[in-house]
Amino acid sequence: MRITCPFCGERELGEFTYLGDAKPMRPAPGASEDEVYDYVYLRDNIAGVMDENWYHGGGCRAWLKVTRNTLTHEISAVEPAAGAGARQVAK
Amino acid sequence: MAEFSWEIRSPLHRALVSGPFGAHGEGGVTLTEIRNFDLVQVMARRGKAAEMASAANAHFGVAVPETPKTAGAAEATLIWSGPDQFFVLSKGGRHQVGSLAPGFAASASLSDQSHARVLIRICGDKARALLAKLSSIDLYPAAFPVGTAAATSMDHTSVTLWRGNDARDGQAVFNVLVFATFAESLWHTMLDSGAEYGVEIGHSEDLA
Ligand SMILES: [Zn+2]
Repeated sequence: MRITCPFCGERELGEFTYLGDAKPMRPAPGASEDEVYDYVYLRDNIAGVMDENWYHGGGCRAWLKVTRNTLTHEISAVEPAAGAGARQVAK
Repeated sequence: MAEFSWEIRSPLHRALVSGPFGAHGEGGVTLTEIRNFDLVQVMARRGKAAEMASAANAHFGVAVPETPKTAGAAEATLIWSGPDQFFVLSKGGRHQVGSLAPGFAASASLSDQSHARVLIRICGDKARALLAKLSSIDLYPAAFPVGTAAATSMDHTSVTLWRGNDARDGQAVFNVLVFATFAESLWHTMLDSGAEYGVEIGHSEDLA
């Protein structure tokens, strides 16, 4: 599997670290215990297309949001994760 | 209080033995450690990338690389090292944190990496063949022309790789910046990879 980093271009999987589902959002400070439990522990086990966080630690050290089909490993989109803060992407 | 005598040594001072290594005959690869350079990492603060770029332009008189490339300035090379960040490579104290800091005070954080990295230059007929064993980057001349850079990994070790100006004999020149504590390991891996081609080992203080 290869991932096309928006900053570096196409790279081998070994340069990246998987950081899980990109969907869960940290609840507001006053959220209930159930909401926090859900955020910390509960994950959907998606068979199909999902958004994932990946870290290009063996390259530019940017966090990325990768849209990947878990059944086929087909990657349909890669973009900087929210807050990555970069002004311009490669190419 | 005890007296200390600080002697600056290269992290490769034990591992690097100047002279020929591996297969006999003409050295197919030349591995040269470049010593005594100044290296500063410049990283834009959040939302300040445009200000950092103009500060760099004002200071160096060239556009800062915003994609994986290098830019040659007067007595310095600017090397892309990730989104909104770059290295300033120079020597002789011309571009150190102290002199750079005022220009970037409002836009970027600077960190001195001069003694944190080892700089290895790879050239010769078999330079690409050696690197192909360590790197998944396409170093074919058209894909990786002079001035191209990459933040990548070699042998599981993060490196900054770029292609410098060609040598006088027209050979391609590749530069690798590697973390100081990983340098000896990567050095041995490079020697193992180059042994079949014959390696000419040396060190230099010449950045050009
Ligand atoms: Zn990257």
